[in-house]
Amino acid sequence: MQTFHKKGAAKYIENGSMLALFALFAVFLLAPAWFVFKGSFENISVSLGAASGGWTLNNYIRVLSDGYWIYVINSLFVCITATLLACTISLFAAYGLSRFRFPGRMLVFGSIMGGQFFPWIILVNPIFILFARAGLINSQVGLILCYTAFITPFTIYLLVGYLTTIPRSLDEAAIVDGASRFFVVTRIVLPIMWPGMVAAATFGFLQSWSEYLLALALITKDDKKTIPLGLYQYFGDVQVDWGAVMAGSVVATVPTLLLFLPLQRMLVSGLTSGATK
Amino acid sequence: MKLSPLMRDRMTVFAMLFPTFLVLVGFYLYPTLYNLELSFTDITLLKLRQGGDWVGLANYWEFLTSSSSFHIAFNTIFWLTAVSVTIRMILGLGFALLLNSNVLRNMRMTTIARLILLVPWATPPVVAVIAWRWLFEPTNGPLNRWLLNFGLIDDPIAFTADLATVWPSIVTIVVWNTTPLIGVSLLASLQTVPGELYEAGEIDGANRFQMFRFVTLPYLMPTISVLTLMSVIWTFNNFVYVWLTTGAGPGTYTNVLATEVYLKAFVDLRIGYSAAIGVTMAIVMGVFGALYFRFFGLSDMQDKVG
Repeated sequence: MQTFHKKGAAKYIENGSMLALFALFAVFLLAPAWFVFKGSFENISVSLGAASGGWTLNNYIRVLSDGYWIYVINSLFVCITATLLACTISLFAAYGLSRFRFPGRMLVFGSIMGGQFFPWIILVNPIFILFARAGLINSQVGLILCYTAFITPFTIYLLVGYLTTIPRSLDEAAIVDGASRFFVVTRIVLPIMWPGMVAAATFGFLQSWSEYLLALALITKDDKKTIPLGLYQYFGDVQVDWGAVMAGSVVATVPTLLLFLPLQRMLVSGLTSGATK
Repeated sequence: MKLSPLMRDRMTVFAMLFPTFLVLVGFYLYPTLYNLELSFTDITLLKLRQGGDWVGLANYWEFLTSSSSFHIAFNTIFWLTAVSVTIRMILGLGFALLLNSNVLRNMRMTTIARLILLVPWATPPVVAVIAWRWLFEPTNGPLNRWLLNFGLIDDPIAFTADLATVWPSIVTIVVWNTTPLIGVSLLASLQTVPGELYEAGEIDGANRFQMFRFVTLPYLMPTISVLTLMSVIWTFNNFVYVWLTTGAGPGTYTNVLATEVYLKAFVDLRIGYSAAIGVTMAIVMGVFGALYFRFFGLSDMQDKVG
């Protein structure tokens, strides 16, 4: 192609400006995270907010001994339980939706797709009242139920998409051989769709890990708080303990970064698949 | 009695979907209807037990005629949604085009770029807000120190407290956190543009701008539309960015619909009134949801379970 064989200064200028633009993008995308990472290893005076130089682990030690590890444990417990619940529910739902024809099937799948976009800000009031009456305020059970409901639509959607890539003949053969549906799902389909399950679980975990609104409304006791709530404990009315906030932020973000890496391709294809047909 | 195969299948499906049914009804349908009911009452957090009295459309009337509603609606629609979605679409498209260009592809930059995009994408919104609040911090934040050192400003800027900078600051945080999804999705889409389309364009003597305008852009349009619609729905309802950056302040300057729902319910304790705002939001978003289903959802459903 003509344009790609352009010679001389014009090409250098063009390539150079594109690289410069790329560098600019990279700085914009990385700088905020870098400054938090860097700040988490600095001595930052609480009253002045100024760094006094030198590297230190004090922020991490202070934050973790200060009870931040309780938030980490709460978050891990709530999010892992909700994810496991949601994935179990979703596995069977996705199989049922993908392999059977029955009246109301489109309605159920449509509701699930709509659920992905459902604004939880609207559900906060009614759920708060219902939970208050049921004694589920400040309860991890309540939060787990909410998070399960919160992530289920997308995990079902992902798994239904994944199941379309698995040939029906596979499970039908087993049915002909007299296997029960439960056996087919757990022993034949599940092993094959393991990558899809892992993606769904990762996604569910990440969604609940960074959830803030429901936790804010439903949890007020310090020993029940999750990481997102715990982080904002360090924002006082007058001053902010920046060292602690940044160390806590790094602790909160490392798992998401590690989990996100293998997930991103799958998420992208799942999100826009309706548009690219 | 032996069941017919059809009946047995129906029972199996019912059992498999029953938990999902409970979730959909218990956490989506019922709370939504209950919220609708609450919106017609004057229930407050203090009289949860006795419940509220029926007030008809009074909450809606009060919200739609209150002096602050226009300001809140404007903030939500213009700043939080329109501005941030437009900027993120443009930046996302720009980044995707840049990465798909021959220069960067030849330098094998795509993998590095994916890793770079991953950082803001994987950062939970609560942490994204913290990162930027630190950058924006007036006395010691990196951005102010940098601007002061280079002599670009004489006094530090209180980015999230100054009325002139607070909305651009919030928009920056939203854009930073959400652009990677757009960038990665559009890049994936760009990589599937059939080469013949460009060859045909070349035979017709199209220049590079025309190639973009008449080949690339039309090809990307479905993906751009679906991403825009999803972004609008997610951002319009978003609570955390505004709440954690400014707490709807200074004063109520950056108040949006989502923070107003929370403030009315949990600070003013007026659950009924707050519910009415929520229902109003749901109606507005219903329009966008319907557009999504009309143009993308239905064909997607056909592909998945049709």
